[in-house]
Amino acid sequence: MFTELSDTNFAETISTIETGIVICFKKLCPHCKNMEKVLEKFAKKNAGVPLFNLDSEENPKTMEGLKTDRIPTILVIKNGTVAAQKSGLMNPKEMIAFYEGV
Amino acid sequence: MTDQYKYELVIIGGGPAGMTAAIYAAQAGIKTVILEKSVTGGLVNSTHTVSNFPSFPSIHGMHLMEKMREHVDGLNVPVEEVCELEKLELTSEMKTIETDEAVYETDAVILATGRKPIPLDIPVECEQVHYCAICDGPPYKNKKILVVGGGNSAFDESRYLLGIGIKHIHLVEMMDRFAAAQSTREELFSSGCVTAQLSARVTDLVLEDSNLVGAEVEDMKTGKKEMIEVDGVFVFIGQHPNNELFRSQVNLNQQGYILANTDMSTNIPGVFGAGDINEKVYRQITTAMNDGTIAALAAERFLRNR
Repeated sequence: MFTELSDTNFAETISTIETGIVICFKKLCPHCKNMEKVLEKFAKKNAGVPLFNLDSEENPKTMEGLKTDRIPTILVIKNGTVAAQKSGLMNPKEMIAFYEGV
Repeated sequence: MTDQYKYELVIIGGGPAGMTAAIYAAQAGIKTVILEKSVTGGLVNSTHTVSNFPSFPSIHGMHLMEKMREHVDGLNVPVEEVCELEKLELTSEMKTIETDEAVYETDAVILATGRKPIPLDIPVECEQVHYCAICDGPPYKNKKILVVGGGNSAFDESRYLLGIGIKHIHLVEMMDRFAAAQSTREELFSSGCVTAQLSARVTDLVLEDSNLVGAEVEDMKTGKKEMIEVDGVFVFIGQHPNNELFRSQVNLNQQGYILANTDMSTNIPGVFGAGDINEKVYRQITTAMNDGTIAALAAERFLRNR
């Protein structure tokens, strides 16, 4: 369900996406695991919105560019750019509101 | 249109108690589903090292819960995660559970809803107050933090935080002794990077430009207050029972825990309690699994004798 991103392909991939969601996560992070399930639920209702993930520990350059080291951090991609980002846990309703508010 | 489902047994909560109950129920041939508000594993997911689970001398909590989940999945028990429970009607013979997406009808229910962390009781909005070391610890590498709490969680999380490079921990506990296991205490204090303060409580947070610069800590014996310079606060001061959805129906003790019988039955026929949500002295993974086992076996007997 998630396409993996890295420091190598983050910028190039993002620039080609019309609309999408990225989760910056860390292994063994319970809130990240929770947020991934929220996004999977989100994707079932928004089939045209692709999901991506980025391991924050393995990709420090991208995290530095995003000016955050908190996880999980959700990025909303619109027209090839990071249109909004938010750190912390959201429930499904909050996630939909965050996405639709961009 | 809302989906409708019918099960013999609905387990609410996918921690060790709920998953153990699901394994026993599935093996008894009971049509069962787990409804979980978050993700399976419960609070164990946040435990850095589990060292008292028989057969695993040392294992990360999330890894242990993944193994338990694989067992549940192997028995084809459906699990609905990130499931927003909205209403429970438990007193009728046919019980109904409404979620944000579906309505479940069931003959029996096991309540294994567990507990949630108690928030720091300070009326200050501060982004540098945290409840998960793994999630929020990394930004504090080479910085000073305050840890509130003196139980196993506080010490276990503190060990993890030191491991990722926290410069110094000021540990504050309201009681006059630490409840954490002696070996855990000794390991943390041997680091030389921890200042411990008993009979003390956080009374205020000091912010500059919305960023935390310190915490006011009161010595509860003398009343003297001191400002401790810290960059972040991590809170591990225990948990509250997750009983909001059924506290008007199920008999609870004064603290809000289910008053379950020895077979985990409650005051309502067909409704069972299991795990940390039950009134008990010790709350461990193994005791939760004990409750889950008994609750499933009792539910099976209840369903068979209807």
